[in-house]
Amino acid sequence: MGEPRLIAILQWTTLAVCALVAIARIPSALRGQNRSVFGVFVLATLAVLLSIDVSYQAIDAWLGSENYANLLLRFVVYVTVMLAGYRIARAFDARRSVRLIIGPVGLGVLSVIGIATVVLFLLADTAGSVTGLATLPARSPENATLIEGYAAAGRLYPSFVAACVLPATYLAISQRLPRAIRIGALLLTIAFAGMALGSLYPLIPPEIGYVEAVINYTSVLCLALGLAFVWISSLMAKRTDE
Amino acid sequence: MPLPAKAFQLWLHGVAPNESTADICRISGIKRTTLAQQLVRGKVAETTLVSISRALKRSPLDDLASFDSYAELAGPPRPPTPAELVSQIATMDLLRAVISRSSPAYGGFGDEGSSLTPALGPAPHATSVRNWVDSIDDGELRHRVSAATGVAPQNYSAQLTANRLSPELAVATARAAGVGFTGGLVATGLITEAEAGWPARARQAALNGLSDGDLTALAGERLQSLGKTLRRQEHEHEQTKKIWENLG
Repeated sequence: MGEPRLIAILQWTTLAVCALVAIARIPSALRGQNRSVFGVFVLATLAVLLSIDVSYQAIDAWLGSENYANLLLRFVVYVTVMLAGYRIARAFDARRSVRLIIGPVGLGVLSVIGIATVVLFLLADTAGSVTGLATLPARSPENATLIEGYAAAGRLYPSFVAACVLPATYLAISQRLPRAIRIGALLLTIAFAGMALGSLYPLIPPEIGYVEAVINYTSVLCLALGLAFVWISSLMAKRTDE
Repeated sequence: MPLPAKAFQLWLHGVAPNESTADICRISGIKRTTLAQQLVRGKVAETTLVSISRALKRSPLDDLASFDSYAELAGPPRPPTPAELVSQIATMDLLRAVISRSSPAYGGFGDEGSSLTPALGPAPHATSVRNWVDSIDDGELRHRVSAATGVAPQNYSAQLTANRLSPELAVATARAAGVGFTGGLVATGLITEAEAGWPARARQAALNGLSDGDLTALAGERLQSLGKTLRRQEHEHEQTKKIWENLG
């Protein structure tokens, strides 16, 4: 089977990119420049660590082997997506998207989803340590429903934020802007399109379930690369200015 | 359409039989890799031919005309119209002419102008291509060029905005407008005014021939479109700055 290898390659590449950019941004973060973007990379690195089997097992063991690491992953994803979405919407001057994400609507959506995530997790039988909660639904029909709902809630918030920002990054691709920014906008658009698709996962036939993982990691990878592209172009512009 | 490599090599052999490719590149300032690449692809850029022709102290216009696709250039020369000549004067030179013609109270010399007015900058200028097309456009020109060449109108407009036009399109535009072929080649910077056979002070003479009203109206139009361009650039600059501020 080629799929597990493909996913492993994607996982580790994504982890490497996020971690490298996070490390590279430490000096500018220490100077106080856009710490939230630094935060996006740190959190994205943590999120990838929480979805790779080896690191998940290690972290979850430390948290008591009740799969709390997966709950932590959900909230890491929510915060990453909110920070990234808000920053990107502001950067591309999409005022409506900014209002949607951090206005009453966005915070309301986040609270409802956050509460639903916690409640569904606590109601379900989550004993043990299972990466991605893969085998938990098989324990009982009740558990299957609860875990399914929990996973759906986890995909809904990223889909919501992605749908808010997508128009802004999509429009920027064809605008007269520096090429690196347009490439960055293209990568971000791919990332948000992938996240927006998250809510449609139940439609994917189980035989090709690995597609979900491919879309997830491609999204994170494109988000990291897109932000990195824009960042590097700003560094290069500063250098030519001096 | 660029020149076919085969015809180009035949021409090169005819005009410089004893020079090596390395010699040709050295005297014409063309990178050897560039020329080699064009030859391999089978298409040689017109600018390459013009550079070599210039370096060999030949007439670029005549050399261009020796190729089938530019055979029309060989006919009896048709001088540019006054409007075309004026279109090749930079906006700032037009404004200078407006001031120069104003009363001394505003720093001018009155209607006569003066020899103290600085000479015109050389063609082409920053908006040469669009101004040239505007100067020969009867309102339907873009459609005719598009129909004749198959180039989509928006692609054509994009080239004009970028102050670019392929030599092939420049010739097609002149043909569709029924004017001489040199105007477009000068406006796109392929050949100089002198190489096009324009008299030395042709543009100045055309400028002097404009009435105060026409000159002022034309300068006004140019200023307006310059303002639009600058505003757009400022907007793009602001956008870029905002993106870098938030994500840099």
